[in-house]
Parts: sequence; structure tokens; C-alpha cells
Amino acid sequence: MAEARGAVHRFAGHWPATEVTLIMVTRIAPVGKIARTVLVLGFLTASGVVTADEISEPIGYIMKVQGEATMTSRGQTIDARVGQAVIIGATLRTGAQGSMGVTLSDNTVMSFGPNSEFTLDEYQFEPAHEELKLSARISRGTLNFISGVIAKLKPEAVELKTPTGTIGVRGTHFLVKVSE
Amino acid sequence: MLQKRFAPLCFALLTGCATGNYVVLLESPDGTTGAVVIEDAQGQTRLDRKHQGAVIGSSGFGSGPFEVGNLRIARDFSAALAAQPALPQRFQLYFKIGSAELTEESEQAIEDAFETIRQRGPSAVSVIGHTDTLSGQRWNEQLGLIRAKAVAEMLRKRHIEVIDLRVSSHGERNLLIKTPDGVSEPRNRRVEISVR
Repeated sequence: MAEARGAVHRFAGHWPATEVTLIMVTRIAPVGKIARTVLVLGFLTASGVVTADEISEPIGYIMKVQGEATMTSRGQTIDARVGQAVIIGATLRTGAQGSMGVTLSDNTVMSFGPNSEFTLDEYQFEPAHEELKLSARISRGTLNFISGVIAKLKPEAVELKTPTGTIGVRGTHFLVKVSE
Repeated sequence: MLQKRFAPLCFALLTGCATGNYVVLLESPDGTTGAVVIEDAQGQTRLDRKHQGAVIGSSGFGSGPFEVGNLRIARDFSAALAAQPALPQRFQLYFKIGSAELTEESEQAIEDAFETIRQRGPSAVSVIGHTDTLSGQRWNEQLGLIRAKAVAEMLRKRHIEVIDLRVSSHGERNLLIKTPDGVSEPRNRRVEISVR
């Protein structure tokens, strides 16, 4: 069940956020929705797109979306919606009128203006095992970044790459603009 | 020599038409200002004052920090800033000794916490149970979980929409007030709700 729920998160994009919430919180999902969930999971398993051990934990969620915004992970691009899980390796893009906000599990808050492209390359948040890392890349656009617990516990573990240099984050709020 | 002569020109370009990649430091939500270190072909540049900016990969012309005004911040970043999600919040709720029953103060506090969560809109919620060091470690692990589950159940009953709900226990491993083993400490008997 835990795995199935993880998968529901990952593919939350296929349902409006409210439906996912129903499944998650009240656990009284109507039969139709359960059937659809099982169907999609069944399809994924059968087609070998995702196997159980490949299902990644969400490291954050999309919290705000305006205009054109997409998320690409594992070769699949979906329209960004509030409540969608973000996993390691995900690339977030916004269109000419688009913007998007994401909050990570360590309380890092990030948001992007129009014509942005951002990839989350590395993320480890296991304070108990001192495994802490956040490495990301902005290849164009604008980013508003408020660092979270990882930067607080291990500042040198947080880095943001741009095409012309790397920003080391020492626990703070900053803005970056990368011109095309 | 060459660099010095070009510096004013480049500064004018920067303030005028914003060419190139750059970073600006802002005040953090808690009112402090941290720092960023920019590493590029020119070496390292450190910013530690608010509204201080620096070009990333400036190829030597006009390198070094400069002041970024509100006008330029608004022009370049208003959309990104407007898309900023609600800042993460934390609530501490306290329990009676050895039980999953909230203290009287926390019975009110939990209602305030739930109302805040409801008003934020769907958020990712972590509910983490803690204990003091009075009983054994193994029981405290369980007691922490019982407390966390009790809070999660209250949240569910109120039909507050969440994106993700995680319930866990730190037992006596994460004391708010550090004490030796076997100490009764009301402030350690708690559940932390983390909302983001």
C-alpha cells in the first residue's frame, strides 16, 4: 500500500489535486478512482515503464502554477499542477507567461518566472545519517530561492549551477537571472 | 588597468539594460541576511548584504558586487517572486505525561494550527511524535508514534486537504530540552506539525 501510494504521488499529474487528496487523506476514494489508480499502476508495471524499486520518493511538491509550466521526469513531460510530486532529476520549465513555485521536503522554497528552465540534479535529506545534498541547475530564466534545512545544517552541500558559474548557498534568500 | 577603465562602462550597462547572468541577495524571511558565494572563471565573489548583486561569469569587466535597486528587482523578478509558495511553518503541541492526551493549552493550540493549515491551502504535512526520557527507549518510540497518530487522526477528521501526510516518531531521540535519561520534562512530550 505504501508503494502504491508513492506511485499515486508520482503520477498525481493525471488527476486533479483534490482527487489525490481524497485518496490520501480520507481514504474513502470512490470505487471508480481506485479502479483507475489500479489500472494506471497495472499499466506501468506491465509495460515496464516503472518498476517498484525505481519509484522515487517525492522530494518536494509543486505549490503554485500560473500560465504555461511543465515538469519533465524520466523522459515524460506533463503540465505542472499544484500538488504534483517532484522527484530527483526533474526538469521544470515555464513558458513566456508562465511561473511556478516548488517547496522541497527540507523546507527549501523556490519559484520561477517566465522562460525558465531548472533541473534538480541531486538531493539528499537524511539528517539522522548526515546525508545532505542539494545540487540544481538553472539554464535560463529567473529563480527566487529561500534555502531550507540542508543549507542550515551543511551550507557547503547546497549549490546552484548556472551556465557561467556556480552559486554556493550559505543559508539565505536570493534571486538569480540567467539570460538566454 | 584595462579592467579599471571598463568598470564604469560595464556598471552603466548593468544598471541600464541588465545583460548577462547575475545574482542578488535579499533579506531572509526571518529578517537576517545570509550569504552566497559565486564561483566562476574569475574566482570567488561573496555577497553578504541585502540588495547586493554580482554578475556570474563577468569575464573581468566590472566584476565585483554592485547595488541592485528595487526597480530592477521588480522588473526582472516580479513574476518569480509572485510565484513563491507559502513559507513552511511549524507547530508544537504538548501532551500529558505518558499519554496521547493533549495538555489543555495545546487543545486550543491545535485548533489554531489546523485553522492555519486550512487557510494555507493544500500543503505537505509531517507529524512527528516526541517523548521525554522518562521511560525506556523502545516504549518512547512507540509513545511518540501513538501521539503523532492521534494528531494525524484529528487532522483527518477535520477533512483538511493535504497533498501529503507523513506520520513518524523520533521517540526520545530529538529532545527539545536536553535532559539526562529518566527525566520528566513536559516540553519534550510533544508532537511537531511541520507544514510546507
